[in-house]
Amino acid sequence: MTELLYGFVTGVLFGFFLQKGRVLRYDKQLGALRLVDFTIVKFMLSHVVVAMVGVYLLYDLGLVKLAVKPTILGGVVIGGLIFGLGWGLVGYCPGTAVASLGEGRLDAAWAILGMLVGAGLYAEAFPWLKTTVLTWGNYGKVTLPQALGVNHWAVIAAVAALTLLLFWQLERYEGARPALKLQKRTGQGIR
Amino acid sequence: MKEDKGWNPYVAGALSGLVSILSVWVAGKYLGVSTTFVRTTGMIEQLFGAERVAKMEYFIREVPKFDWQWLFVAGIFVGAFLAARTAGEFRLQAVPDMWRERFGASAWHRGAVAFVGGIVAMFGARLADG
Repeated sequence: MTELLYGFVTGVLFGFFLQKGRVLRYDKQLGALRLVDFTIVKFMLSHVVVAMVGVYLLYDLGLVKLAVKPTILGGVVIGGLIFGLGWGLVGYCPGTAVASLGEGRLDAAWAILGMLVGAGLYAEAFPWLKTTVLTWGNYGKVTLPQALGVNHWAVIAAVAALTLLLFWQLERYEGARPALKLQKRTGQGIR
Repeated sequence: MKEDKGWNPYVAGALSGLVSILSVWVAGKYLGVSTTFVRTTGMIEQLFGAERVAKMEYFIREVPKFDWQWLFVAGIFVGAFLAARTAGEFRLQAVPDMWRERFGASAWHRGAVAFVGGIVAMFGARLADG
Protein backbone atom coordinates (compact mmCIF):
# COMPACT_ATOMS: atom_id res chain seq x y z
CA MET A 1 0.00 0.00 0.00
CA THR A 2 2.85 2.37 0.89
CA GLU A 3 4.40 1.48 -2.44
CA LEU A 4 1.23 2.52 -4.29
CA LEU A 5 1.14 5.78 -2.35
CA TYR A 6 4.78 6.49 -3.27
CA GLY A 7 3.88 5.86 -6.90
CA PHE A 8 0.97 8.29 -6.78
CA VAL A 9 2.89 11.09 -5.03
CA THR A 10 5.86 10.68 -7.39
CA GLY A 11 3.50 10.86 -10.34
CA VAL A 12 1.79 14.03 -9.10
CA LEU A 13 5.15 15.78 -8.69
CA PHE A 14 6.43 14.56 -12.04
CA GLY A 15 3.22 15.52 -13.86
CA PHE A 16 3.31 18.93 -12.19
CA PHE A 17 6.85 19.65 -13.44
CA LEU A 18 6.04 18.29 -16.92
CA GLN A 19 3.19 20.79 -17.18
CA LYS A 20 5.22 23.69 -15.76
CA GLY A 21 8.09 22.90 -18.12
CA ARG A 22 5.69 23.13 -21.10
CA VAL A 23 6.67 19.80 -22.58
CA LEU A 24 3.24 18.22 -22.85
CA ARG A 25 1.44 19.68 -25.81
CA TYR A 26 1.31 18.26 -29.31
CA ASP A 27 2.71 21.59 -30.56
CA LYS A 28 5.76 21.21 -28.31
CA GLN A 29 6.42 17.62 -29.32
CA LEU A 30 6.02 18.24 -33.03
CA GLY A 31 8.05 21.42 -32.54
CA ALA A 32 10.88 19.28 -31.17
CA LEU A 33 10.63 16.76 -34.01
CA ARG A 34 10.60 19.61 -36.55
CA LEU A 35 13.59 21.23 -34.81
CA VAL A 36 11.77 24.53 -34.28
CA ASP A 37 11.16 24.27 -30.51
CA PHE A 38 13.83 22.87 -28.19
CA THR A 39 11.89 23.05 -24.91
CA ILE A 40 11.62 19.26 -24.67
CA VAL A 41 15.31 18.78 -25.46
CA LYS A 42 16.23 21.20 -22.67
CA PHE A 43 13.81 19.68 -20.17
CA MET A 44 14.70 16.08 -20.95
CA LEU A 45 18.47 16.47 -20.93
CA SER A 46 18.34 18.55 -17.74
CA HIS A 47 16.43 15.71 -16.14
CA VAL A 48 18.90 13.12 -17.42
CA VAL A 49 22.01 14.96 -16.21
CA VAL A 50 20.61 15.67 -12.73
CA ALA A 51 19.22 12.16 -12.29
CA MET A 52 22.41 10.57 -13.65
CA VAL A 53 24.62 12.38 -11.14
CA GLY A 54 22.24 11.82 -8.23
CA VAL A 55 21.56 8.15 -8.84
CA TYR A 56 25.23 7.26 -9.35
CA LEU A 57 26.17 9.23 -6.23
CA LEU A 58 23.68 7.16 -4.23
CA TYR A 59 24.91 4.04 -6.01
CA ASP A 60 28.50 4.72 -4.96
CA LEU A 61 27.28 5.19 -1.39
CA GLY A 62 25.58 1.78 -1.62
CA LEU A 63 22.13 3.29 -1.11
CA VAL A 64 20.45 2.29 -4.36
CA LYS A 65 20.53 -0.44 -7.00
CA LEU A 66 20.74 0.20 -10.73
CA ALA A 67 18.01 -1.22 -12.95
CA VAL A 68 19.80 -2.01 -16.20
CA LYS A 69 17.80 -3.27 -19.14
CA PRO A 70 19.36 -5.67 -21.63
CA THR A 71 20.79 -4.06 -24.77
CA ILE A 72 19.21 -5.85 -27.74
CA LEU A 73 20.09 -3.99 -30.91
CA GLY A 74 17.30 -5.63 -32.96
CA GLY A 75 14.68 -4.42 -30.52
CA VAL A 76 16.19 -0.99 -29.85
CA VAL A 77 16.89 -0.07 -33.48
CA ILE A 78 13.71 -1.44 -35.09
CA GLY A 79 11.56 -0.50 -32.10
CA GLY A 80 13.06 2.98 -32.06
CA LEU A 81 12.29 3.50 -35.74
CA ILE A 82 8.70 2.28 -35.31
CA PHE A 83 8.28 4.45 -32.20
CA GLY A 84 9.54 7.51 -34.06
CA LEU A 85 7.09 6.94 -36.89
CA GLY A 86 4.22 6.66 -34.43
CA TRP A 87 5.42 9.63 -32.34
CA GLY A 88 5.40 11.88 -35.39
CA LEU A 89 1.76 10.92 -36.04
CA VAL A 90 0.40 10.95 -32.51
CA GLY A 91 2.51 13.82 -31.12
CA TYR A 92 2.55 12.37 -27.60
CA CYS A 93 4.66 9.77 -25.85
CA PRO A 94 2.86 7.52 -23.34
CA GLY A 95 3.59 9.72 -20.28
CA THR A 96 2.84 13.03 -21.97
CA ALA A 97 -0.39 11.65 -23.48
CA VAL A 98 -1.69 10.99 -19.97
CA ALA A 99 -0.48 14.38 -18.70
CA SER A 100 -1.86 16.23 -21.74
CA LEU A 101 -5.27 14.76 -21.10
CA GLY A 102 -4.89 16.19 -17.58
CA GLU A 103 -4.33 19.60 -19.20
CA GLY A 104 -7.56 19.17 -21.17
CA ARG A 105 -6.18 18.07 -24.56
CA LEU A 106 -8.92 15.71 -25.72
CA ASP A 107 -6.99 14.28 -28.68
CA ALA A 108 -4.70 12.71 -26.08
CA ALA A 109 -7.58 10.39 -25.16
CA TRP A 110 -7.44 8.95 -28.69
CA ALA A 111 -3.69 8.64 -28.32
CA ILE A 112 -4.09 6.71 -25.06
CA LEU A 113 -6.69 4.38 -26.60
CA GLY A 114 -4.35 3.72 -29.50
CA MET A 115 -1.47 3.04 -27.12
CA LEU A 116 -3.57 0.52 -25.21
CA VAL A 117 -4.36 -1.25 -28.50
CA GLY A 118 -0.66 -1.09 -29.47
CA ALA A 119 0.30 -2.70 -26.16
CA GLY A 120 -2.25 -5.46 -26.81
CA LEU A 121 -0.91 -6.07 -30.32
CA TYR A 122 2.62 -6.25 -28.93
CA ALA A 123 1.51 -8.85 -26.39
CA GLU A 124 0.10 -10.91 -29.30
CA ALA A 125 3.29 -10.57 -31.33
CA PHE A 126 5.67 -11.15 -28.42
CA PRO A 127 6.10 -14.96 -28.73
CA TRP A 128 7.22 -14.48 -32.35
CA LEU A 129 9.36 -11.37 -31.69
CA LYS A 130 11.11 -13.15 -28.83
CA THR A 131 12.51 -15.79 -31.17
CA THR A 132 13.39 -13.36 -33.97
CA VAL A 133 13.98 -9.60 -33.57
CA LEU A 134 14.72 -9.83 -29.85
CA THR A 135 17.57 -12.27 -30.44
CA TRP A 136 19.42 -9.99 -32.87
CA GLY A 137 22.45 -8.31 -31.31
CA ASN A 138 21.76 -9.18 -27.69
CA TYR A 139 24.54 -7.79 -25.51
CA GLY A 140 22.81 -8.51 -22.20
CA LYS A 141 22.57 -6.11 -19.27
CA VAL A 142 25.50 -3.85 -19.90
CA THR A 143 26.03 -0.18 -19.04
CA LEU A 144 27.96 2.34 -21.12
CA PRO A 145 30.86 2.55 -18.59
CA GLN A 146 31.10 -1.26 -18.59
CA ALA A 147 31.07 -1.44 -22.39
CA LEU A 148 33.78 1.22 -22.59
CA GLY A 149 35.72 -0.23 -19.66
CA VAL A 150 35.97 3.10 -17.84
CA ASN A 151 34.85 4.50 -14.50
CA HIS A 152 31.21 5.63 -14.58
CA TRP A 153 32.16 9.18 -13.54
CA ALA A 154 34.15 9.56 -16.77
CA VAL A 155 31.00 8.83 -18.78
CA ILE A 156 28.89 11.07 -16.53
CA ALA A 157 31.36 13.95 -16.91
CA ALA A 158 31.45 13.51 -20.70
CA VAL A 159 27.65 13.37 -21.03
CA ALA A 160 27.23 16.39 -18.74
CA ALA A 161 29.84 18.38 -20.67
CA LEU A 162 28.30 17.52 -24.06
CA THR A 163 24.85 18.43 -22.74
CA LEU A 164 26.03 21.82 -21.48
CA LEU A 165 27.74 22.44 -24.81
CA LEU A 166 24.49 21.62 -26.61
CA PHE A 167 22.49 23.93 -24.29
CA TRP A 168 24.93 26.74 -24.96
CA GLN A 169 24.64 26.23 -28.71
CA LEU A 170 20.84 26.01 -28.54
CA GLU A 171 20.63 29.34 -26.69
CA ARG A 172 22.91 30.93 -29.26
CA TYR A 173 20.88 29.45 -32.12
CA GLU A 174 17.59 30.67 -30.66
CA GLY A 175 19.07 34.07 -29.88
CA ALA A 176 19.93 34.47 -33.55
CA ARG A 177 16.38 33.65 -34.66
CA PRO A 178 13.72 36.16 -33.67
CA ALA A 179 10.87 33.82 -34.71
CA LEU A 180 12.02 31.19 -32.23
CA LYS A 181 12.36 33.81 -29.51
CA LEU A 182 8.86 35.08 -30.16
CA GLN A 183 7.58 31.56 -29.93
CA LYS A 184 9.36 31.10 -26.61
CA ARG A 185 7.84 34.26 -25.21
CA THR A 186 4.27 33.70 -26.29
CA GLY A 187 4.12 29.92 -26.29
CA GLN A 188 2.71 30.08 -29.80
CA GLY A 189 3.77 27.35 -32.18
CA ILE A 190 5.59 28.11 -35.39
CA ARG A 191 3.40 27.05 -38.27
CA MET B 1 -0.86 37.46 -27.35
CA LYS B 2 -0.85 36.40 -23.72
CA GLU B 3 2.55 35.82 -22.11
CA ASP B 4 3.25 32.15 -21.50
CA LYS B 5 3.85 31.61 -17.80
CA GLY B 6 5.69 28.34 -18.12
CA TRP B 7 8.81 27.73 -16.07
CA ASN B 8 12.30 27.75 -17.45
CA PRO B 9 12.61 24.25 -19.02
CA TYR B 10 16.10 23.73 -17.57
CA VAL B 11 14.76 24.36 -14.05
CA ALA B 12 11.60 22.29 -14.49
CA GLY B 13 13.64 19.48 -16.05
CA ALA B 14 16.20 19.54 -13.24
CA LEU B 15 13.43 19.50 -10.61
CA SER B 16 11.83 16.50 -12.33
CA GLY B 17 15.30 14.91 -12.23
CA LEU B 18 15.33 15.36 -8.44
CA VAL B 19 11.95 13.58 -8.31
CA SER B 20 13.61 10.75 -10.22
CA ILE B 21 16.46 10.52 -7.73
CA LEU B 22 14.13 10.62 -4.70
CA SER B 23 11.97 7.90 -6.21
CA VAL B 24 14.95 5.59 -6.71
CA TRP B 25 16.25 6.39 -3.22
CA VAL B 26 13.04 6.27 -1.17
CA ALA B 27 10.94 3.74 -3.07
CA GLY B 28 13.60 1.93 -5.12
CA LYS B 29 11.58 2.70 -8.27
CA TYR B 30 12.81 4.02 -11.60
CA LEU B 31 10.30 6.17 -13.47
CA GLY B 32 8.52 4.53 -16.38
CA VAL B 33 5.12 4.64 -18.02
CA SER B 34 4.63 2.20 -20.91
CA THR B 35 4.41 -1.01 -18.88
CA THR B 36 1.26 0.43 -17.33
CA PHE B 37 -0.36 0.43 -20.77
CA VAL B 38 0.43 -3.29 -21.07
CA ARG B 39 -1.02 -4.02 -17.63
CA THR B 40 -4.15 -1.96 -18.34
CA THR B 41 -4.76 -3.65 -21.69
CA GLY B 42 -4.30 -6.98 -19.90
CA MET B 43 -6.91 -5.96 -17.32
CA ILE B 44 -9.35 -4.96 -20.07
CA GLU B 45 -8.72 -8.21 -21.98
CA GLN B 46 -9.31 -10.16 -18.76
CA LEU B 47 -12.91 -8.89 -18.80
CA PHE B 48 -13.45 -10.71 -22.09
CA GLY B 49 -11.31 -13.79 -21.61
CA ALA B 50 -9.37 -14.24 -18.39
CA GLU B 51 -8.20 -17.73 -19.34
CA ARG B 52 -6.61 -16.58 -22.57
CA VAL B 53 -4.80 -13.70 -20.81
CA ALA B 54 -3.52 -16.07 -18.11
CA LYS B 55 -1.83 -18.17 -20.82
CA MET B 56 -0.22 -15.28 -22.73
CA GLU B 57 3.51 -15.09 -22.19
CA TYR B 58 3.72 -11.30 -22.21
CA PHE B 59 0.98 -10.98 -19.59
CA ILE B 60 2.78 -13.55 -17.46
CA ARG B 61 5.85 -11.30 -17.58
CA GLU B 62 3.87 -8.10 -17.03
CA VAL B 63 1.05 -9.20 -14.78
CA PRO B 64 -2.16 -7.17 -15.29
CA LYS B 65 -2.59 -5.52 -11.87
CA PHE B 66 -2.42 -2.16 -10.14
CA ASP B 67 1.18 -1.60 -9.05
CA TRP B 68 3.57 1.26 -8.19
CA GLN B 69 3.82 2.36 -11.81
CA TRP B 70 0.07 2.31 -12.41
CA LEU B 71 -0.39 4.78 -9.54
CA PHE B 72 2.59 6.79 -10.84
CA VAL B 73 0.83 7.20 -14.20
CA ALA B 74 -2.45 8.13 -12.48
CA GLY B 75 -0.45 10.66 -10.46
CA ILE B 76 1.00 12.20 -13.63
CA PHE B 77 -2.53 12.87 -14.84
CA VAL B 78 -3.48 14.50 -11.52
CA GLY B 79 -0.24 16.48 -11.26
CA ALA B 80 -0.57 17.92 -14.75
CA PHE B 81 -4.22 18.74 -14.08
CA LEU B 82 -3.35 20.55 -10.82
CA ALA B 83 -0.50 22.48 -12.44
CA ALA B 84 -2.75 23.58 -15.32
CA ARG B 85 -5.84 24.26 -13.22
CA THR B 86 -4.11 26.33 -10.52
CA ALA B 87 -2.47 28.48 -13.22
CA GLY B 88 -5.73 28.93 -15.13
CA GLU B 89 -4.33 27.03 -18.09
CA PHE B 90 -6.69 24.07 -18.14
CA ARG B 91 -8.55 24.20 -21.43
CA LEU B 92 -10.52 21.56 -23.29
CA GLN B 93 -9.13 21.33 -26.79
CA ALA B 94 -9.71 18.55 -29.31
CA VAL B 95 -7.43 19.80 -32.10
CA PRO B 96 -3.95 21.18 -31.28
CA ASP B 97 -3.06 24.61 -32.75
CA MET B 98 -0.21 23.37 -34.93
CA TRP B 99 -2.37 20.54 -36.30
CA ARG B 100 -5.31 22.86 -37.00
CA GLU B 101 -3.08 25.27 -38.90
CA ARG B 102 -1.76 22.51 -41.15
CA PHE B 103 -4.52 19.88 -41.41
CA GLY B 104 -7.74 21.67 -40.46
CA ALA B 105 -10.18 21.74 -37.57
CA SER B 106 -11.73 18.26 -37.81
CA ALA B 107 -11.53 16.59 -34.40
CA TRP B 108 -12.27 13.20 -35.99
CA HIS B 109 -9.42 13.52 -38.45
CA ARG B 110 -7.02 14.47 -35.65
CA GLY B 111 -8.44 11.74 -33.38
CA ALA B 112 -8.00 9.04 -36.02
CA VAL B 113 -4.35 9.94 -36.63
CA ALA B 114 -3.68 10.17 -32.88
CA PHE B 115 -5.24 6.72 -32.44
CA VAL B 116 -3.23 5.09 -35.24
CA GLY B 117 -0.06 6.91 -34.18
CA GLY B 118 -0.63 5.72 -30.62
CA ILE B 119 -0.83 2.09 -31.78
CA VAL B 120 2.40 2.39 -33.77
CA ALA B 121 4.29 4.36 -31.09
CA MET B 122 3.43 1.94 -28.29
CA PHE B 123 4.31 -1.12 -30.37
CA GLY B 124 7.72 0.40 -31.16
CA ALA B 125 8.30 1.52 -27.58
CA ARG B 126 7.64 -1.97 -26.26
CA LEU B 127 9.88 -3.55 -28.87
CA ALA B 128 12.70 -1.24 -27.77
CA ASP B 129 11.92 -2.21 -24.15
CA GLY B 130 11.00 1.37 -23.29
